[in-house]
Amino acid sequence: MAKKQETKTVSPAKKLFDFKSMTKAEKTAIAIGAVAFLLGAWGLYTRLFVGEREVGYGSYIVWGLWVSMYLFLAGVATGSYMLAVLEYLFSVPMFKGTGKAALWAGLVTMPAALASIGMDLGHMERIIKVYLQPNFFSLLAQMVWGYTIFLLIVVVTLWLAFKHKEGEAVSGLFKFVLWVGFFMAIFLSGGVGALLGVNASRPYWSVGLLSVQFPIFAFASGVSLMLIVVGWFMHLKDEEQRFHLFRWLGWVAIALSLAKIYILWAYLSQAWYSQVPDVMVPLNEILFGRYWWSFWIIQIAIGTVIPLVLHMIPKLAHDGFWAGAIGVMVLVGFAAARANIVFPAMSVEMLDGLPNAFFGPHLNILYFPSNLEWSVTLGVVGAAVLAFVLGAQFLSVFNKPNTEVK
Amino acid sequence: MAQEPKDVLVRMHEELERALQKAPEERRWVMVIDLRKCVGCHACTIACVAENKLPPGVVYRPVVEQERGTYPNVTRSFLPRPCMQCDNPPCTPVCPVTATYKNEEGVVVVDYDQCIGCRACLVACPYGARTSDFGYTYTEELPVLDGAIVGREKADDYEVAANYEYGREWARTSHASPIGNARKCHFCLHRVKEGELPACVSTCIGRATLYGDANDPDSVVSEMIKLPNVLRLKEELGTEPRVYYLV
Repeated sequence: MAKKQETKTVSPAKKLFDFKSMTKAEKTAIAIGAVAFLLGAWGLYTRLFVGEREVGYGSYIVWGLWVSMYLFLAGVATGSYMLAVLEYLFSVPMFKGTGKAALWAGLVTMPAALASIGMDLGHMERIIKVYLQPNFFSLLAQMVWGYTIFLLIVVVTLWLAFKHKEGEAVSGLFKFVLWVGFFMAIFLSGGVGALLGVNASRPYWSVGLLSVQFPIFAFASGVSLMLIVVGWFMHLKDEEQRFHLFRWLGWVAIALSLAKIYILWAYLSQAWYSQVPDVMVPLNEILFGRYWWSFWIIQIAIGTVIPLVLHMIPKLAHDGFWAGAIGVMVLVGFAAARANIVFPAMSVEMLDGLPNAFFGPHLNILYFPSNLEWSVTLGVVGAAVLAFVLGAQFLSVFNKPNTEVK
Repeated sequence: MAQEPKDVLVRMHEELERALQKAPEERRWVMVIDLRKCVGCHACTIACVAENKLPPGVVYRPVVEQERGTYPNVTRSFLPRPCMQCDNPPCTPVCPVTATYKNEEGVVVVDYDQCIGCRACLVACPYGARTSDFGYTYTEELPVLDGAIVGREKADDYEVAANYEYGREWARTSHASPIGNARKCHFCLHRVKEGELPACVSTCIGRATLYGDANDPDSVVSEMIKLPNVLRLKEELGTEPRVYYLV
């Protein structure tokens, strides 16, 4: 999938849409992103100009697919940054060459996360109030400010990464920015877990383990995304390095997935042992109830077991296509994992019989994302894919770091 | 000759007038619901919907019905559930823009113009006492019948007319607040300010819902909350609800 290195000066627009020089993988990703975005156009239009009425969530299942996708995409963004930190700050050899792509991924996925959560706001036009009149005791306000600072840090880090020459020592300023960004990535990835965990009214969330697992989820998501990038898009002159890169990334993704399973086991088994009704209801929903398929098929089978098996088969593990496929599967598994944390916890009746006390739209505890929610999610993900691939083309982040691109 | 006891509604009205003479921060509004008297008529729910012009999907005071036991040993109970107006409310600190807070009288209120609609307060409330306004009207499914007496155009006049929560006009137009906001019971502060009891209290056919100033030692609610058979919901969470139940 290697591509000819661009050496002559070209206009920015031509460089951005230079389809001729794109690989088959890039063209395919752009086509998929464009189709997803087009399918999402209806949802985005409806949400922005008609309103929130066609959503599946409501007053009892308060947060739905968009919040889950926000948690997931924010995790990918912060996890990608952690990966860049490993290359530039800690000089971890196995991640060499992934820094710029990881930073660009963070810069694309964080706005996608914010778009997803923005759609969930009843008055999204008032988001400015979080900047002008914030309540810093609220984790949500902390997150909004944190994301803003984080986005600025990613932009500065990316700029410094382009200025940085391979082989040279990382400058003091670059190190400082990386440290600040690293702290923000940990704070924000754990913070989204705390956003749920601080709600003592939801016993299923209100355990210390919840916010601890989110940075691990985030880093694993970043690694998985990079597996896709390296397996499908990265152009390295040295095929040996590329091969080692996706082999290592694959192992890290698998190891983190296994860590996730361990945490999940600790979390679920303790909850099960307690038999506390407010914890057992969501647990039953996840393991045997309405969301069993999301847990067993998507999160466990597709997200963990199948990637693990594929990675154990040498012929497949040595192949770039399958490395990318493993990345996609692990990412899908992590997206489902976020959903499995968010929806089921709210399927508990806050008072026995409350959902049957008054009938009306959005007053039930049976949730499945509506067509509008799926459409918006497709639109957001499609836009992110398009932005990522086209931007990577423009910035040449898929190239080997020491490749000069004019 | 013994004086005939006053109707509790008359007594509460008098207490209300007395409380309004005090500074707002000296009042402590509480609600007492006598579950032994509640017959599950839902009059309070309907009165609240009418008073606050609540749209479909928004409810401030549902009456939760619970059946326990197996035939022939079955009991049925009714639990009206307004906002608990907690003294330690979990719903207020989570708000990113301080749109919901305890006012000077200790009632948890929502500033509709400030609320961004994130619903973090709905998630935080352990009583499910908040609902989100998705912008529906009850009459929107009606056909538009030109020239007919009843049709959507005429029938929805009442629904789109302004309500007066928090003492302000809130018309249901386009996407203006309170559409898109979190909504909740506010002890009918707009009525209380004018010397009227909350709609659910006035409407209760069994005088099961009582309201007043707990800082007034002679008020009916002060008498009731001292009784040994009083309880509050989910006290273990430390939310310190201001709604008491007599059982």
